[in-house]
Amino acid sequence: MSFAERMLQIDRRIIFLVIGLCTLIPLFYPVGLAIKVGPEVRGVYNYIESLPEGSVFLLSLDFDPASKPELYPQAVALLRHAFKKNLRVIGMTLWLPGTGMANEVITRVAEEMGKEAGKDYVFLGWSPGGSSVIINMGQDLYKAFPTDYNNQPTKDLAVLKDVKTLRDVSYVVSLAAGSTGIESWYVFGKDKYKFELGGGCTGVIAPGLYPLLRSGQINGLIGGLRGAAEYEVLIGQKGRAVAGMDAQSATHVAIIILVMLCNTFYLMLRKGQRRAGQA
Amino acid sequence: MIFLKRQLPLLITFVTGIVFAAQYYVPHPASEEMLTSVTKWLQIIGGFALILGVTSLFHIHAVKIRRKEPGWGYSFVLYAGMLGTIVIGLWGNGKEVTNGTMTAFGWIYNFMMVPLQGTMFAILAFFIASAAYRSFRARSREAAVLLAAAIIVMTGRVPLGEYLIPLSGDLTQWILNVLNASVRRAILIGISLGAVALSLKIIFGIERSYLGGGKE
Amino acid sequence: MPFDILFGAWVATGLTLFIFTFLYKDNPLFKLAEHLYVGVSVGYTIVKAYDTVVIRLIYEPMVKQGDWSLLIPLGIGSLMLARYVPKATWLSRIAFAFIVGVGSGLAIPRVISSFILKQVEDTVRPLVSIVGGSPSFTFSLLDPASNLNAVILLVGVVSVLFYFFFSIEHHGPVRIAAHTGIIFLMIAFGAAFGYTVMARMSLLIGRLTDLIEYAEPRYGRASLWLIAATVALLAAWSVKQRRQPAPPTE
Repeated sequence: MSFAERMLQIDRRIIFLVIGLCTLIPLFYPVGLAIKVGPEVRGVYNYIESLPEGSVFLLSLDFDPASKPELYPQAVALLRHAFKKNLRVIGMTLWLPGTGMANEVITRVAEEMGKEAGKDYVFLGWSPGGSSVIINMGQDLYKAFPTDYNNQPTKDLAVLKDVKTLRDVSYVVSLAAGSTGIESWYVFGKDKYKFELGGGCTGVIAPGLYPLLRSGQINGLIGGLRGAAEYEVLIGQKGRAVAGMDAQSATHVAIIILVMLCNTFYLMLRKGQRRAGQA
Repeated sequence: MIFLKRQLPLLITFVTGIVFAAQYYVPHPASEEMLTSVTKWLQIIGGFALILGVTSLFHIHAVKIRRKEPGWGYSFVLYAGMLGTIVIGLWGNGKEVTNGTMTAFGWIYNFMMVPLQGTMFAILAFFIASAAYRSFRARSREAAVLLAAAIIVMTGRVPLGEYLIPLSGDLTQWILNVLNASVRRAILIGISLGAVALSLKIIFGIERSYLGGGKE
Repeated sequence: MPFDILFGAWVATGLTLFIFTFLYKDNPLFKLAEHLYVGVSVGYTIVKAYDTVVIRLIYEPMVKQGDWSLLIPLGIGSLMLARYVPKATWLSRIAFAFIVGVGSGLAIPRVISSFILKQVEDTVRPLVSIVGGSPSFTFSLLDPASNLNAVILLVGVVSVLFYFFFSIEHHGPVRIAAHTGIIFLMIAFGAAFGYTVMARMSLLIGRLTDLIEYAEPRYGRASLWLIAATVALLAAWSVKQRRQPAPPTE
């Protein structure tokens, strides 16, 4: 077996170890490289910044714990921004497994910003049906969610005063880990009820949302942990996303080096085989 | 009886399909009221669909335990986890937090479900790295293009990459905004045309697989 | 530190490490955590579905507000469960017919409007701009709205659609169009791979950040103790596996 062949067949646990170390070391010894803010993230930030006090901001946390590391920091940053701007915040989720997490993040950030449940914000909880929930909210929000997560009638909540349908919402941002998220909010929501829509999403689905971004169907896109880090930079409150960026850099560089090594060994092997074929 | 079993479902699909497709273009208050009611109904029916989804899992593991098949002990763990969560959840009125205090149900969610699900997906990081090393090779010109695009995006989306190769950030933006967007747009248009065609086939009774098997 | 949080941190750390043991090889610790995960998730789903659907969407509006029209979805939903009664399985077809019919009807106009018309509209933008009465062409690659990018986007969309939709033999100009489509596709797949790597690494960073937090003294250094315990258990299992006699070979 040649050197190249041996290298191409190394125990995968060596690669696991490399990735583990590349993640851990920067978390222990952060460098803090500068993070550039892209136009996609700025789109969401600028729109929230332009909203007058008291405008209604709906944050739909459409993800489950599997995507928590990417989307939870986005939710924290967006909520901090919205509360700082004194917007009326409505939280909800279309993903059942994310209910507890969504309630926790909204309550925690609201407490941190000194906001009161029912007056400044509400968490509506989860409701089954995905797209039909969105349509129903567009028709009659109180009917779609007769009570909030804490079983308080939504009609009586000060935060929902004059918010009868999605037409009364100034800005919706869906933090999505799948197609029941930004796409559903556009197709079954914005298309008919004409609110402005922004998005945050996991890295896996981000490339698929660029057509909607280009056509203006969404006015901004926060992509993955990097997007969350950019938003944290914009609001000037660095959190878990910025802290994770050094580890993100290190793992990406490690994978690029691994791919280059793999291709070098592959070319060496091919060259050797060609030579052997000629001999 | 054959009408009830065979024709009635097809008739219901046809009528509801046509009515709700047409509803989009008829913003009359009565039509809007109908949309409000039926989408509300779909929310409730969606809850029943969830029950259907989980019952097959119940059955598979119950059989494993009853027959004491290899690994039945794990099925027992699954059942214990499930029943424990249900009992504690119903006892806590299905709330993770009440009056600002975490319930036992919330504890299970925060300290068991969230880390378990999160880690299940986190280990994929190791496997994607291993797969990249083993199979991400420039075997052809097309594969080389794919490889180059991946390396540029991986470089341009992290601060270290942008610091080492300042051009990579702008190049990544261009790839995502123009080249990637064009492909995704073509795929989106293609999928949407397919979805519309499938919906029409369902409404007109050409596609019937959703009705499933079972006795006629 | 309250006991429930401290105990929770130890449980979360232990379960996280049990899942990570799969990186060594499939083992009973991983299987235990995996099955517990499925069980707890299903239990959570059932409780939430009960609380939301039965209590908030059915019981309260019907009993407290007298909205008896909700008996209709209740009936349709119950028909779905007829799937488990062999002699009445056909009844579930009525429920599925309703859901699929309404779903298809709702989707058709909205998908056409959102994903076909809007996307086509943005693709067929003017390829040349008129500035001050005379035509101009902008070449900036960094501006997504430049004329050059509009041309590239159009070429990309058309060539990829061409590659997917035309199954005629690829010769001459057809071959060039299809090949262009393949190159565009490869670039998009490469970008998707790059983003997927980013996403997966982010998830790992998230879990390791939690483990680092739980290694702090306020959590009783849960991560450190449990790493040692997990490694010891894994080693003991490995030794036991090796000592077991190999299955007889034919």
